[in-house]
Amino acid sequence: MTALILQSLYSGLLSGGSYALIALGLALVFGTMKIINLAHGEMVLLSAYMAYVMENRLAVNPLLATPLALVVACLIAVVVYFLVSRISRNRELNSLILTFGIGIILTNAALIIWSADIHSTSAPGFQEPVVLGPLYSMRSELGFFVASMVLVAALWWWLSRSWYGRAVRAVSSNRDAAKLMGINPHRTEVVSFVVAGILASVAGVAIYSTGVIQPALGASLTTKAFIITVLAGIGSIPGVLVGAVLIGVVEALTVTLYSSAIQELTGMALFLLVLFVLPNGLFGAARRRG
Amino acid sequence: MKSILRQIVALLLLLAPGLSTADAKEFLLGAELPLTGSLARVGNGTLEGITVGVEIFNRHNPSHKVKLVTIDDESSPAKAVAAVEKLASQGVVAITGGYGSNIIGPASDAANKAGLVYMTSGGVGNELTARGLKHFFRTNGSAGYTKAMAGLFTDMGIKSVSIVYSTKEATTELANDVAKAMRARKAKVAMHPFDPTITDFKPIINKVKLQDRSEAIAMVGYENDYVGILRAAKVLRPATVKAVVGVWSLATPKMAADFPDLMPNVYGTAMLPYPAGFRTAEGKEFADSYKRLYRKEPDYLGQFGYVQAQILCEAIKRADAKGTLAKGGLADEVRRTRLNTLIGQVAFDKNGDNPLFQQRMGQHQNGRIIIVWPKESATGKMNYPAVPW
Repeated sequence: MTALILQSLYSGLLSGGSYALIALGLALVFGTMKIINLAHGEMVLLSAYMAYVMENRLAVNPLLATPLALVVACLIAVVVYFLVSRISRNRELNSLILTFGIGIILTNAALIIWSADIHSTSAPGFQEPVVLGPLYSMRSELGFFVASMVLVAALWWWLSRSWYGRAVRAVSSNRDAAKLMGINPHRTEVVSFVVAGILASVAGVAIYSTGVIQPALGASLTTKAFIITVLAGIGSIPGVLVGAVLIGVVEALTVTLYSSAIQELTGMALFLLVLFVLPNGLFGAARRRG
Repeated sequence: MKSILRQIVALLLLLAPGLSTADAKEFLLGAELPLTGSLARVGNGTLEGITVGVEIFNRHNPSHKVKLVTIDDESSPAKAVAAVEKLASQGVVAITGGYGSNIIGPASDAANKAGLVYMTSGGVGNELTARGLKHFFRTNGSAGYTKAMAGLFTDMGIKSVSIVYSTKEATTELANDVAKAMRARKAKVAMHPFDPTITDFKPIINKVKLQDRSEAIAMVGYENDYVGILRAAKVLRPATVKAVVGVWSLATPKMAADFPDLMPNVYGTAMLPYPAGFRTAEGKEFADSYKRLYRKEPDYLGQFGYVQAQILCEAIKRADAKGTLAKGGLADEVRRTRLNTLIGQVAFDKNGDNPLFQQRMGQHQNGRIIIVWPKESATGKMNYPAVPW
């Protein structure tokens, strides 16, 4: 039983890392602009398809598709921002509807271009087992877990230490005051979206290299990312990692101790429980009243 | 003079299609399928076969023209019902298609209420035929798959099996049927249901490895599930496992081509070996038409789609000849079907099921698919014990 639980914790940890990678971009835009980008999963998915195209057409390692994925995801991010910025009234709600529609368009575009077939990398080495004592994983899972940690740290540093990161936080806190301080809110928000696009591109290549992609995947990626973002607490980047790992571990333990049939249910139950006890999420700051 | 001649030729050319089809009676055949959403892959594959079936029928029957009207149910039961109602309002004589027992159930109920024949090959759930609907027919039920899987395990002499199955309706039912069949053969069975959204199967396969210690893994799911399970098994390498067996969508040329590292020695249900060996004239015509239309080799979904369209088109023609088509006689005509098709014998019982349906088991061997069960249909020997890792 100990070996089973240890493997479960390890698998949950790695899954959590991949969940965090998917959620980071959504959390950034949600945390800084209060926009829930419901097309985020599709941005990740299109990046994954770029990896597929590069491997399938040019026979190159999917990791080398990252620059192409980055360009595509950032372009989509800028287009999404451009459309969202046209909304003049009730931006939080209307952007939700708009990005949901963009998500549907992107899903159907993927379906038309690449058909409904499933795809995954066949490059050698990605699925090779890595054995650490009693713990087993694929080489790609471990690699992308490390990438996820690095990106969380980099994003946290960027938001707290860089000029643009501070500008993003300033615009998020008080748009007019930020403007008076010489910050261009539009440019800052574009930067937020572009950074979200960069994160989505890495997540997409990771998903293609470790799992299976198909056009309908985007919506479920958005759902998972949204749950983790809310669980973490709005605006908390380290919270995304903690929330993602928590969900990953709880799901994996559910499989080992009971049944995989209810692992999604357990993840959702945990989500609701945390929100019941901590309405602002695990690391969310309490909203100022009055 | 030249211009008059030119005008006459132009007029004749304009009228020619009308003249050729003027005598042909046109029948609208509805197709309700998941062309988008989670079941898009299987829905599109089935539609390809249906289209080929209709095209071949029209070619052979110039006096009857069947026109296909397709509506995407978006992999949703509610939209499938709406699609059936819309097709009924458009005047279709029957509906073919459907994928997934949970979608086919309400869709075929709606068709039955509208008095329209509903023909499918995409739902194996027993409850579909247990309803005893007059207008519901399917070419393949769960029993054909259970017999094939359990039969293969019996021939291998398997004493213990871990069944890893998706919690979707049809897969759960099939998994339970296989478990029942294996327990009746005194085999030890461990059940591992999984949520259809999961991607990491290592915790499940680790239970197979450390707790069950089974001789075989039975996978009842879909393509993405198989890839996840096989990858997890390749990482954990459960030492006691001698065979990995799945059902539909697994022993296909596409899986052999897309996942050459995962597929060696894996078993799955397959009507044909690969490269496809169509021996009959009908089979060759189907394969040629399919390749011409879609520029690829036909797969099992295309075969099933073709057969369901073929049965319906033939029945429409017969009912029309008897003058019973407009009086609700199509269901009786479908029930009279006795055909040797690309998927084997087809005849329907009073509930619309095809009790003659019998699946075969194929094994991936060196990029090919070899039929290994039943012995009388085998195109080669099975590699056993043998696993993909």
